[in-house]
Amino acid sequence: MTFYLFDRSFYIASDVLLAYITVILSGAAIFYLITKADKWPTIKKYVTTTHHRKIGVLYLLSATLFFIRAGIEALIIRVQLAVPENDWWVFQGDKFNEAFTTHGTIMIFFVAMPLLIGLMNVAVPLQIGARDMAFPYMNAVSFWLFLAGAILVNMSFFMTASPNAGWTAYAPLSISTYTPEAGNDYYVFGLQVSGIGTILAAINMIVTIVRHRAPGMKLTRMPLFPWSTLITSFLILIAFPVLTIALYILMFDRMFGTQFFTGEAGSPIYWQHLFWIFGHPEVYIIILPAFGIFSDIISTFSKKRVFGYTSMVIAITIIGLLGFMVWVHHMFTVGLGPLVNTVFAITTMLIAVPTGIKIFNWLFTMRKGLIQLTTPMLFSLGFIPTFVVGGVTGVMLSVAAADMQYHDSYFVVAHFHYTMIGGTVLGAFAGIYYWFPKMFGIKLKETLGKWHFWLFVIGFHITFFPMHLAGLNGMPRRVYTYLPKDDVFIYNFVSTIGAFLMGLGTLAFIWNIYQSFKNPDYTGNDPWDGRTLEWAVPSPAPEHPFQPMPLVKTIDPLWEAKRNRGGKLPEAESARSAPIDVTSWQPIGLAGMMMVFSLAFIYHQTWLQIIAGIGVLSFFVIRNLTDEHVRVAREEENE
Amino acid sequence: MRKLYVILSSVLLILSGCNMRVLDPKSQTAKGQSFLIQFSFALMMIVFTTVIVLFIWFVWKYRQTEENKHRIPEDEKGNRFFEITWTVLPIILLAVLAVPTIKITYEISASSSATPPNAVHIDVTAQQFSWTFEYQNGVVQTSELVIPKDRPVVFHLNSDDVIHSFWVPKLGGKMDVIPGKERRLIVTPDEIGTYQGKCAEFCGKEHSLMRFETIVKTQEDYKQWIQKMKRKTE
Repeated sequence: MTFYLFDRSFYIASDVLLAYITVILSGAAIFYLITKADKWPTIKKYVTTTHHRKIGVLYLLSATLFFIRAGIEALIIRVQLAVPENDWWVFQGDKFNEAFTTHGTIMIFFVAMPLLIGLMNVAVPLQIGARDMAFPYMNAVSFWLFLAGAILVNMSFFMTASPNAGWTAYAPLSISTYTPEAGNDYYVFGLQVSGIGTILAAINMIVTIVRHRAPGMKLTRMPLFPWSTLITSFLILIAFPVLTIALYILMFDRMFGTQFFTGEAGSPIYWQHLFWIFGHPEVYIIILPAFGIFSDIISTFSKKRVFGYTSMVIAITIIGLLGFMVWVHHMFTVGLGPLVNTVFAITTMLIAVPTGIKIFNWLFTMRKGLIQLTTPMLFSLGFIPTFVVGGVTGVMLSVAAADMQYHDSYFVVAHFHYTMIGGTVLGAFAGIYYWFPKMFGIKLKETLGKWHFWLFVIGFHITFFPMHLAGLNGMPRRVYTYLPKDDVFIYNFVSTIGAFLMGLGTLAFIWNIYQSFKNPDYTGNDPWDGRTLEWAVPSPAPEHPFQPMPLVKTIDPLWEAKRNRGGKLPEAESARSAPIDVTSWQPIGLAGMMMVFSLAFIYHQTWLQIIAGIGVLSFFVIRNLTDEHVRVAREEENE
Repeated sequence: MRKLYVILSSVLLILSGCNMRVLDPKSQTAKGQSFLIQFSFALMMIVFTTVIVLFIWFVWKYRQTEENKHRIPEDEKGNRFFEITWTVLPIILLAVLAVPTIKITYEISASSSATPPNAVHIDVTAQQFSWTFEYQNGVVQTSELVIPKDRPVVFHLNSDDVIHSFWVPKLGGKMDVIPGKERRLIVTPDEIGTYQGKCAEFCGKEHSLMRFETIVKTQEDYKQWIQKMKRKTE
């Protein structure tokens, strides 16, 4: 729509205008509510904190916000595709392309990742008997850098320059020749900034798990969620730098006239290799932690230790290793030759073996157990059949010659939504319901939780099952319309109905959170009759848990203590000194400065690039010159 | 009335599922791929059924009820026999699947690297957002591809701008069209008819509209058609 102001005409697309109005109104409402409830001190506490539980909560909160945004985009996509030759609102052509690009980018990088990293932050230190993450300050830096990147990508829409080359950003479409707008620059810098945060988070997790376990907590006694976190962190450490390099040279191609992906010496295939060498490990990065969550939950609510613990750990490791050897299965139609294609087809098939081992281990954990159908358990049970469907379509996709038919069709869309929603999202929901008491000391409502589960899962299958058939009937991915004679109308129509059911399920979840805080059900340390150490500390988890430090003698130490020691954990003689928690505005300041730095590049303002660059560097200098250990030592001397 | 017909026919389509374009092959290549799809699906149904049966059985049998809620399940670490079973059986299953995978993947590639005699050569140029087909005698067509039945057709795929992907579901899998590198695809249609062709790789604004019709004619009709087109251009 066009409107006139000071004798000049301004044009703004109606969807952007609506988004502005919504954001400004809800922002004002939130501001008013916070002021009315006098919650600004709490906000300040959370912004300056370095405590792992609070940072985990921040991760989960921002992930939920982005989940709503990208979910609305999914509904927009489904409405536009509901009937053939649809002409709904503005979502055709570029607008539609922007919608599916940001839907994919945000769901992968700013929903799936932070949901899992948030749960890791909340649970992993407590599960291994650590008093905090190894580097609390760096943990805060990780979160704020992630948020800065996420805000950059989300901002692009409001600046009417969304990324529009798909979440895979294949060159040469993502080169400035074909997409000269600022959209894909936002993509590059948003992912780059949040990627730094993710790498730092992975380093932090590795050091925490390696160095800060309670006395007696050998690696072979560690619960499976920390195990999957450890493997995942190594995957992040190896895969994310590849993305960094890919984005870096894409940035050079877009901004500084290099020709890595075009011209005589360059090739667009380089981008695909780099992207998928990162991208395939990435999909295991977002599924392995979910596997860990399911292992712990299924074990807790079957009242049995996890079946085949050793093979579970080996399976996670093998999946992690194989994850680096399968990236070409995203490129079977590029024409790399039959040898390459068959080798990668075989390695891809092999992944089914460790995954199958895990599925059967979960089933046999439940066998002869005592299954309590609480909400977290429901989500874990919903995961098993759903993920098996995603797994078997994965094996079908690994057949190289057949993949030439599936590739880039709706069959693929169905497959990865089955694995990512059936695995990651259900896992994250299960984890949120399971550890909510540890975060806030209250339980989420069971009845609303069950509504959430059934609406979401039934809606999910209605949405994504027909997509397999639409793909087999020749519907390509990333199209905004189709013809009646394509015979895919019924599948798309059914999908759209299912998508709205999933939306209702998500609303039930949000309503559940609101209700649970309004009429809180306070719980004690151990609401689920848990098995691992996190249920031995008060809820919500305090700043200094584990006083006195427990001595771990077995797997599932709390369960063993409840059976044989009247619930008292054996105590350790000495404990590792806890990491020092500080309160600091520096992490959020650094992230803000990174954002300004990125914007200076996106809009080619050299003077601002220099100033912001010096600003970012100065944070490093300041941090190098401060050492809280010195301060703490001095305080101890003066006592 | 027509809408009702569309809805009715699509409901029937969901129920039948057999005349899916990918599973209704009209060339040797597509037949091999369709076989692989159905074969892998059948193997995977074994896995799926096993898991679902165990899943329903265990969840039903071992759920908590009023009677058993104070029972503490026996501690069980694992079971070597079971674990070996579900490691070895999937490997065997995958070996069974790997053999035709390798065989057919090689066959499809081999047929695309050789140049059969009596082949029809067509230069395919993809550009945002249309397809251009140029025949050896200089005839140029846009968005309509005419090919003879039972003769190998060699597509020389080139792109003018970004990556596209050439896909006629009924004639076989897709082949990416990459700027600066010629890709070849060979198909031998074995049935006359009109088939949909599409761009399968996202290529920008109007990617959805980048489609073409493939018309397979008998060799006689094809000869007449190409001569007629030739006269037109002259």
